[in-house]
Amino acid sequence: MRSDAGHAFLDLGERLRLRGQLEAALSVTEAGAGRYPTLAAAHDLIGRIRADQGDDDGARAAWITALECDRRSLGALKGLAFLAFRRQDYGEAERRLEAAALEAPHDVTILAALDRVRLSRPAFTEDVITFEDPAAALLLFDARGLHLAGSTGESDRPAESDIASAAAIGVIREAERAARLLDLGSVRHLLIEGTTHRIVVAPVAAAGGVMIRRPITAPAGRVIALAERAVDTARTWIEAG
Amino acid sequence: MSPERWERLLREVVQIGGVRGAAVVNADDGLVVHEAMMDELSAGDVAALASAVVLRSAAMLRALGEPVTRMVTLTATAGTVVAVPGQHDLWLVAVTAPAAELGRLRLLLGDLVPELA
Repeated sequence: MRSDAGHAFLDLGERLRLRGQLEAALSVTEAGAGRYPTLAAAHDLIGRIRADQGDDDGARAAWITALECDRRSLGALKGLAFLAFRRQDYGEAERRLEAAALEAPHDVTILAALDRVRLSRPAFTEDVITFEDPAAALLLFDARGLHLAGSTGESDRPAESDIASAAAIGVIREAERAARLLDLGSVRHLLIEGTTHRIVVAPVAAAGGVMIRRPITAPAGRVIALAERAVDTARTWIEAG
Repeated sequence: MSPERWERLLREVVQIGGVRGAAVVNADDGLVVHEAMMDELSAGDVAALASAVVLRSAAMLRALGEPVTRMVTLTATAGTVVAVPGQHDLWLVAVTAPAAELGRLRLLLGDLVPELA
């Protein structure tokens, strides 16, 4: 690791980590992170030290903080994928690596890890649908376009979920109008693809809708399948609520 | 682009199984630039309605930090509308039956995008 002037603690912390002096490495890096609290690389290094110590919860917290500082932090994305793989949560591992591959599309180590995760994943396993986990990037909104639950991702900007909810219900209404006038029946979903992400929005009967956001490296069919399951979960969530 | 080239491009699209028609539309005003409709679909209706959907979708994507929309796919119980953007607000739009070869259509439309430039 090479660090900028003023961030020499990163070099020192990494050297200590590689020598196995984990307590000293942590002490140095935490002191540096205290001085530069928005430096993603510092939190990434703390994550690696914690992981070496076998403290998965501490490592995860550090890597999440790194992503809050820089949503594109490759170290944090790879670290979180590693932790997810270790606990056999292949869905999260794949999602993190897809995000990492988006940032570094020619990094063969990331692509190889992605292949390995996909091969390790038992056939027909399904991602858990939850609106409570920000990392799931699943959003639920009502028929007025008000945000009900979930988010567009754990590193979303302030009010992004509110903006997304308001915009998504407008997209659904426009799609419903088009489908009705073109005799296409009821809208099941819209897949909207940009250069970095795929977004699926889908109506939940008359109650509102769901949005799911995944990196463009995620297969389109899988994102749609996940959105269709999210609609079922959302219906249950709304009825229970 | 010449009318012959538009025709060739749209003919390629409607040759895919399950595609009911295709049109090049101007999303800015919702008007048809060129069309190859196969059944009772009205190209004017498709242009106006698909334009409204793609404009809304693109606005949503921009609000989420993505300035460029590469494809919009509306799936309904009785068919699908797929739209890809070219330049100058032109979009290539295809309407399909439910059992269309969507994967092949997506690949072809992606390949044709540079020709819309």
